Amino acid sequence: MRQTLTQIGYAVLVLSACSQAIRAGDAQPALACPAADDPYFLQEVWPKVVARSCLTCHKAGGDAEKSRLILRDPARVDENARAEVFRQNRDAFVRLALVPEKNASRLLVKVTGGLDHGGGDVLTPDSAGYRILAEFVRRSGGKTPHSPAIPQTTSPRLPPLFTDVVMLEPTRLLRRATLSLAGRLPTAAELAAVKRGQLSALPAILDQVMAEDAFYERLREGFNDIFLTDGLTGTPETATLSYDHFHKTRLWYQKFDLSHIPDEKARRQAGYKLAKDYRAALTAEPMRLIEYIVRQNRPFTEIVTADYIMVSPYTARGYGIFDEVKSRFQNPDNPFEYIPVRLRTLVGREKSQNQESATGFYPHAGLLSTFQYLARYPTTETNRNRLRTRMYYQHFLGVDLLELAARVSDAAAVTAQYKVPTMQAPECVVCHRTMDPVAGLFQDYWKFADQGLYGRRKGGWFSDMFSPGFEGENLPPSERWRALQWLGERTAQDPRFATTMVEHVYFILTGRRVLLPPKDESDPLFAAHEQAYREQRKWVDLIAGRFRQSGFNLKNVFKDWIFSDFYRADGVATRVTDPARKAALDDVGMMRLLSPEQLERKTAAIFGEPWGRLHDQMAMLYGGIDSQEVTERATDPSGAMGAIQRLLANEVACRQVARDFARPATERRFFAHVEPDTLPGSEAADQKIRETIVQLHSRILGRNDRTDSTEVDETFQLFAAIVQAAQSQKQLDTRETYACRQSTPAPPADPHYTIRAWRAVMTYLMRRPEFLYE
Amino acid sequence: MRRDFLKSCGLAGLSLAVPYVPPAAAEPIRPAEPYPGPYYVVFNASGGWDTTYLMDPKGISGINRLYREGDIRTQGAHRFAPNQKHATGGMSNEEFYAEFGAELLTFNGLDYSTNNHSPGARYMATGKLDSLAYPTFAALVAACRGATCPIAFLTFGNYSATGNLVAMSRVPYLPSLRTIANADAISGNTRTPFHDPFALERIEAALAAHHASRATQPRLPRVERGENMLYAAQVNSQALQRVTQYIPASIPKERLAQQAEIALASFKAGVCVSANLSIGQFDSHANNDKDQMKLIPELLAGVAYLLRRAGELKIREQLVVIIQSEMGRTPNYNAGNGKDHWSIGSALFLGRGIRGNRVLGATDGQQFAAAFDPAKLVVSPETGIRIRPEHLHQALREFAGIADHPMSQKFPLDVKAPNRLHQFFG
Repeated sequence: MRQTLTQIGYAVLVLSACSQAIRAGDAQPALACPAADDPYFLQEVWPKVVARSCLTCHKAGGDAEKSRLILRDPARVDENARAEVFRQNRDAFVRLALVPEKNASRLLVKVTGGLDHGGGDVLTPDSAGYRILAEFVRRSGGKTPHSPAIPQTTSPRLPPLFTDVVMLEPTRLLRRATLSLAGRLPTAAELAAVKRGQLSALPAILDQVMAEDAFYERLREGFNDIFLTDGLTGTPETATLSYDHFHKTRLWYQKFDLSHIPDEKARRQAGYKLAKDYRAALTAEPMRLIEYIVRQNRPFTEIVTADYIMVSPYTARGYGIFDEVKSRFQNPDNPFEYIPVRLRTLVGREKSQNQESATGFYPHAGLLSTFQYLARYPTTETNRNRLRTRMYYQHFLGVDLLELAARVSDAAAVTAQYKVPTMQAPECVVCHRTMDPVAGLFQDYWKFADQGLYGRRKGGWFSDMFSPGFEGENLPPSERWRALQWLGERTAQDPRFATTMVEHVYFILTGRRVLLPPKDESDPLFAAHEQAYREQRKWVDLIAGRFRQSGFNLKNVFKDWIFSDFYRADGVATRVTDPARKAALDDVGMMRLLSPEQLERKTAAIFGEPWGRLHDQMAMLYGGIDSQEVTERATDPSGAMGAIQRLLANEVACRQVARDFARPATERRFFAHVEPDTLPGSEAADQKIRETIVQLHSRILGRNDRTDSTEVDETFQLFAAIVQAAQSQKQLDTRETYACRQSTPAPPADPHYTIRAWRAVMTYLMRRPEFLYE
Repeated sequence: MRRDFLKSCGLAGLSLAVPYVPPAAAEPIRPAEPYPGPYYVVFNASGGWDTTYLMDPKGISGINRLYREGDIRTQGAHRFAPNQKHATGGMSNEEFYAEFGAELLTFNGLDYSTNNHSPGARYMATGKLDSLAYPTFAALVAACRGATCPIAFLTFGNYSATGNLVAMSRVPYLPSLRTIANADAISGNTRTPFHDPFALERIEAALAAHHASRATQPRLPRVERGENMLYAAQVNSQALQRVTQYIPASIPKERLAQQAEIALASFKAGVCVSANLSIGQFDSHANNDKDQMKLIPELLAGVAYLLRRAGELKIREQLVVIIQSEMGRTPNYNAGNGKDHWSIGSALFLGRGIRGNRVLGATDGQQFAAAFDPAKLVVSPETGIRIRPEHLHQALREFAGIADHPMSQKFPLDVKAPNRLHQFFG
């Protein structure tokens, strides 16, 4: 990896010795850390026992924070401090391991539920985790009840993960990147630059690509797949702008003067469009905030700290601030031009509805305090902002609180046994001690359903919940009015934030989440899965470190991932047959089924126009999302999607081929070297046909084939076979099919069936994985 | 031979080690044979249903405000909550049990083990609480039984993970299938194909040959899997032509009935193995009774619609129906007249091979689960265990005949033999 990065001359990426991102609660294996004293602790005890079973409670702010075993969470420090944190944690374990009890070390007795362990029996004596811990005790000189058999967790047969993995060559990497980021093919100049400079030419090109509007469309789309703010329920202006605070302005479009349109029907239609654009603009504000931050190279931490929102001329009217800000718009009539704005503190219809503020401004905290985010993840009387908290942790710190939810031996009994289970029952406290303080930070957004968002609870916040705060730190009362800003500031400083953003970008680029740590140590492929996981964590941690160093410039994250082995992996040099090796490589390689939006953009990039049918129901059928009910894109093609692929290939080829032949040869996009009478059989004609195929492969498939390659042979055979077969068909029309020529003003004749054979070739190519996958 | 070749490809997702053959002598490619059943339908009452208003009635200790213990109705072996007077729309319990009680198997006292929606939904759908990788039962059975079907696993919501075993299909609107069912014909009119038959055959043969030649080359596992799935999807998509004849002229208004129609048309056409049907809003933290009296009848009406229409389509004997939710509701009302999350609940089963008119398991007067003997299928404080979703899923896998399938074994449920439900379905 270092060699590659050095070769390309792109900034030097140095893997931190202990660069693995380890997050609270995740059962994540650690990397071998050369600086640490005890690889066994790092590689076995920490990931397989401590991170899974101990850390959640045995840390400051955890349920066992008053016990003798206090650990530090490595995820809460940056990579430079991790080695020391691991050393301290290891020392804490050694101290406990050396305390003798009757038959065994205190550590082993506690973990099996002895000595009134508050967490009960975390491990059973026959578990792999117990045996690992017992071995640690033995190695530390502590007392063990028997000589444990150590589970085999590493496989000496596994080569380094990217051994024999073939990387995408630079021009194809360029094509992958421009299509992915901006939905376009590389320009000739870009291709020439990469051919000259290889990978070293790419960063500058990517900077240019990430200045294009198309990139920001993709960026918004990608982050909406994560935050899902487009999935607001109800009418946006009433869901986000409360009656209490915006009743005079939120429905501005209903009274907007359209009297200059004389025709009543046209006036009505204009009114509909006004409302539609207003709603779309309002819904889009959170993703426009992300666009603004990235476009302006601002620290991406502003998604939780920005003291502004983005408004358009239409949404500014909804907020009642249009007259104040209209001079800042380049075009005040453009519903989708956005500028940053600070709202003044909310003023209600009644005094009690007024928002407290020490500055006179609304306490913006990036996405967290936008009305759209709050409305997308609403609260209820009984939910008490816990949904918002769950989404906050997932979106900004990469922690799935519900994935942490351990099996409760008898949840119903626990619920009944305690007066306040979430504060008293250990099974509940383990999550609620983390969750509920953050829920309290959202306390001033205490309105339900369509009643608005901002509003304080009568009688104050709940006393049967842990106090408002964040991970052990209480919210000072003086900060309550800006509680979300207080949260955003801490979020931005949390090392998990950078890691999570790096993971989000990986998701946007690949369409899949980063790997989760393998859990089943009895799985014979455990070591292989673990290897893949560790290697990916290395990259995540490396890129997160660079992200921080760059001042949280998100564009760097895109570039770093594009240069990573994970993004560039394209094939293997030798056939993979070993199951363990297969398992290790299971998630390596892009092979991303294009989403409906991406497929339309790719079609437009290659053919000059989109197919135009992958929207609404067809998009849903093709695995798209509505950001509301359907929030996960399909990653594998169903038969229904296979049918859509057929239809797309048939229709686009039908639309393109005759039209291209009708143009003068010099203006053709695909068939500049052949004419309808260019028939296979002569050396000269065959060469022209092969050259045409090479160009089709290049443009549609992104392949760089030679004219005498097997790939070109295959396509040539198809073309030739159809032309030949046509000669034996009776009563064939000498023109292209009506539907495929009707939109072409002067369609050429097709006496030899070559135009239709080329259409068949184009159909064939568009059904291939190279076109339909990224 | 071609058919077998394609079938095996789709079924196992295996590489195709077939040498490259030029497409001159094109063989017609046929879609997979119609899948004959059984068809699996999982109804999800998303949000957490109140089982005491359906199959596990109490009427005591303030658990139910709409009826008392003496009002509890029976139908054969079943005891159920009366709701005819309170149901708003849909189908009352009384009607449902009268029509389907003889076929119905109830399990009460299921320990969901969690009070949260997401883990609960995941656990009930897959039988595994602590993994995001496991497939839902509906996806697993589709993968094992009929991966070549173009829409083998159909889902309308709820947790729908596939474990990368089979593609998930969403069909939001039945007529949209008509649009794509004849994808090789202009405007869907089979008399005007895009390509002449001899040309289309060669396109298909070229794709088959290319796919086969790719199988001989070294590929990353992910690339191999993706290429295989894509090829199978396109080939099998041709079977969608069979669906169009079963698309009804009019679409029902009710949301579950709409989902049922899509599933049934797909079953009848032999292009689908399983379907996840779902309605939400059961999360009745406020005004529990009002919500549950609306939603339980809606759910039952949806089940009834599916069964009746399946009868009309003559595939009812092939249906296996599972009705579940991710949690129950507390035995007490909160200050907002709602009920919060409760980790004990029930599940219902009926259909092919399931012996009905039975109620297994139980809860006590406070809605706590009674220990259940999985071998004798009786409540037993002495020999019983807590029955959790993995126990039901193990039984379902065995019932469907897929417990030993390699795909099932890839996702073990770790239910030890003595704890497995013995002849649970009859």
